[in-house]
Amino acid sequence: MAIKLKPVDVAIVGLGAAGGMAVLPLARAGLKVAGIEAGGWLDPHRDYHADEIHNNVRMLVTSVSKTKNEVPTFRTSPEQRASRATSNRTMMNAVGGTTTHYDANSWRFAPWDFKIRTDSVGRYGAAALPRGSTVEDWPLTYDELEPYYDTVEYEIGVSGKAGNIQGEINPLGNVFEGPRRREYPMPPLRDTGFTSLMTSAAGKLGWNGHRSPAAINSQPYAGRSACAYHGYCDTGGCHLGAKNSTAVTTIPQALKTRNLTVVDHAHVTRILSDGQGRVTGVQYLRGGKEYFQPAKVVLLGCYTYENARLLLLSKSKAYPKGLANNHGQVGRHYIAHWDGREISGLFPFELNIWYGALAQGVVVNNWADDNFDHSGLGFIGGASLTVNHELHPIAAAAMPLFSRAPSWGSRWKRFVNQNAGRWVGVYAQCTSLPYENTYLDLDPEAKDPLGDPVCRITSGSKENEPRARLYVASRAEEWLRAAGATDVIKQPLSSEGPNQSWHAIGGTRMGENPETNVVDKWGFSHEAPNLGVLGGSVMGTHGARNPTLTIQALAWRTADHLIRNWKSITG
Amino acid sequence: MSEADHEISRRELIASSAFVPLAALTCSSAAHAQTPAAHATETALSPAQMKILEAVVDRLIPRDELGPSAAEAGAPIYIDRALTGPNAGEKQTFVDGLAALDAFANSSQGASFTDLSPERRDAVLTAMDNGTATGFANSQQFFNRVRRLTLEGMFGDPFYGGNRNFAGWDLLRYPGPRLVVGPEEQRMDKLPEPYRRSAYGPQYGH
Repeated sequence: MAIKLKPVDVAIVGLGAAGGMAVLPLARAGLKVAGIEAGGWLDPHRDYHADEIHNNVRMLVTSVSKTKNEVPTFRTSPEQRASRATSNRTMMNAVGGTTTHYDANSWRFAPWDFKIRTDSVGRYGAAALPRGSTVEDWPLTYDELEPYYDTVEYEIGVSGKAGNIQGEINPLGNVFEGPRRREYPMPPLRDTGFTSLMTSAAGKLGWNGHRSPAAINSQPYAGRSACAYHGYCDTGGCHLGAKNSTAVTTIPQALKTRNLTVVDHAHVTRILSDGQGRVTGVQYLRGGKEYFQPAKVVLLGCYTYENARLLLLSKSKAYPKGLANNHGQVGRHYIAHWDGREISGLFPFELNIWYGALAQGVVVNNWADDNFDHSGLGFIGGASLTVNHELHPIAAAAMPLFSRAPSWGSRWKRFVNQNAGRWVGVYAQCTSLPYENTYLDLDPEAKDPLGDPVCRITSGSKENEPRARLYVASRAEEWLRAAGATDVIKQPLSSEGPNQSWHAIGGTRMGENPETNVVDKWGFSHEAPNLGVLGGSVMGTHGARNPTLTIQALAWRTADHLIRNWKSITG
Repeated sequence: MSEADHEISRRELIASSAFVPLAALTCSSAAHAQTPAAHATETALSPAQMKILEAVVDRLIPRDELGPSAAEAGAPIYIDRALTGPNAGEKQTFVDGLAALDAFANSSQGASFTDLSPERRDAVLTAMDNGTATGFANSQQFFNRVRRLTLEGMFGDPFYGGNRNFAGWDLLRYPGPRLVVGPEEQRMDKLPEPYRRSAYGPQYGH
């Protein structure tokens, strides 16, 4: 029998990028919040190391126990039996969640991302929409999200250069971005020999090369130190607290109000609901005991796979197919971001990108979104192209060979001796759409140690994204060659897309229509009125950029909506 | 939940063996349980298996005018420690692979791998690399795994037993982890001076 705890106003499941953000406005508004997190507090001295084997090879920061037992299974068609996906490198349990190990690239999505369907049909006709895609416009516009982007940028501290302040364009920033109300709170991370090279190469091509926006302090900010540029913070954590993680930014602020209680090492097993279809609270295991935390409102804020899984597992009389799933939409419109570093260039000189952060980069957005004419190209969307610092030695030794050397022996040794510091990959992040053939459900066979099924990914073939990737790969090659690369190599891609992505979204999509969406435009369930969903799972399309800032702006907005409508939501 | 509650539940968790599987689920990061690899005394491979492994990695990264070989740099020690601890799950596959390699050396070149000339050793490894070697579950897969672990040993932090005297980092001209990196160290026209030091302190790497 579960131990029943004292009721709270809001129970949040997961204190990561999204849940760890929502706690702050809620606690400031005076609501009593229980933040229930599967992981614990990480200790920078004990848990973070400038060590590629620790962080990247063994993934000791990211692969903590609970998620390790819940790696989704993967298949490319409904006829197949799914097998364990290659890794669960992104999902992690800790106070701070994935923001512990993320690279902190902090982008706003483009205004176009919010209305892809309408804009594409308007400009290119109905045939432009990819076959089998379930894409809808987002139920909000960029302008509606802009105030929340701004709030979050200042709360966590983002370093960058604005390209559009209230319509005034500055080519030192991203000229394609939507209008923002003011400049970033800090200037971009340090310019280096390499960032100057790549910015000017973009300029030679007539493209807008600009610095990555990063939730890393380029100068001391809000009582936290500036970046020391030693690297090892991606897939690791920041020793100095210079990189945002909600564990060092919003969660400590929320704790100061005394309205937030952090319940760590707690494994949430079910969200409970009553006969009327209202959620009543959260059941979890902690220290070998089962607890029930009653709450007036539950906000589900896990990683995409766990958000969908927990809803599907939480069956009740009112929700026989899983919580908030009477329309069968939980798990639908799942998207693994088409991102990767398949294009590399070899240079006849040292780039010296060993140190620094992944978010210390240069980006080109000319071939993203609808920033170029797609007539006759056979796809919509595109990709942002990024090159960046932080190259680790094992990764450098495993560099592409550019058909110049064998993969072992003395000739290989000479090749890496000369070239390990002379190559760079271009990171391309592609607009990624939802499809009928790509979804999440519960695996009928694979289970976690508690006997609960793990999430199963079904990901069918697509045409739009591979075409876009092929197109932008050529643009990436032009960029590398303009910077002086002598050799460029492109690795092939599958048509099903990535197995698991660093950026997995969808599965509890946000939209006006309850027939095709799980949550409404504010992030609250169309079916269970006092259940909100936070995280990438609410997003209906993936923009050509890292998703975290958008996830955080949406989480803040959902919390804000709850505060403003407390009476009507809690009934 | 107060600190005191947390402590109580941790004690309960440790005391109650009935909850072991649950403890594994709700316990903290695997990082906390990491044994300092450099202090391990147990070995995964026998002396005979180690000799074969040393001979193999020395063809993958041989000694030459650019510096020490992988075995001289301690890569087999890294691999053995990995197979003892964090990679224990692949120990059997690895041991079977080494046995298959030696059997294939005998059948294709007429002697144990360690008794072959460098050219004949390369012929064995080339056949594994291109998948024509016989007697393996999957020779290419095993070859790639040995190669990958050799890279980890040669180019990873010397804390783990390989990259002795920073031979791997020197070969790549990787300047080594530093606590603070200034603008001078992020220029393209002048590379940073090598900082030959393990992230875990000056006692490692020699």
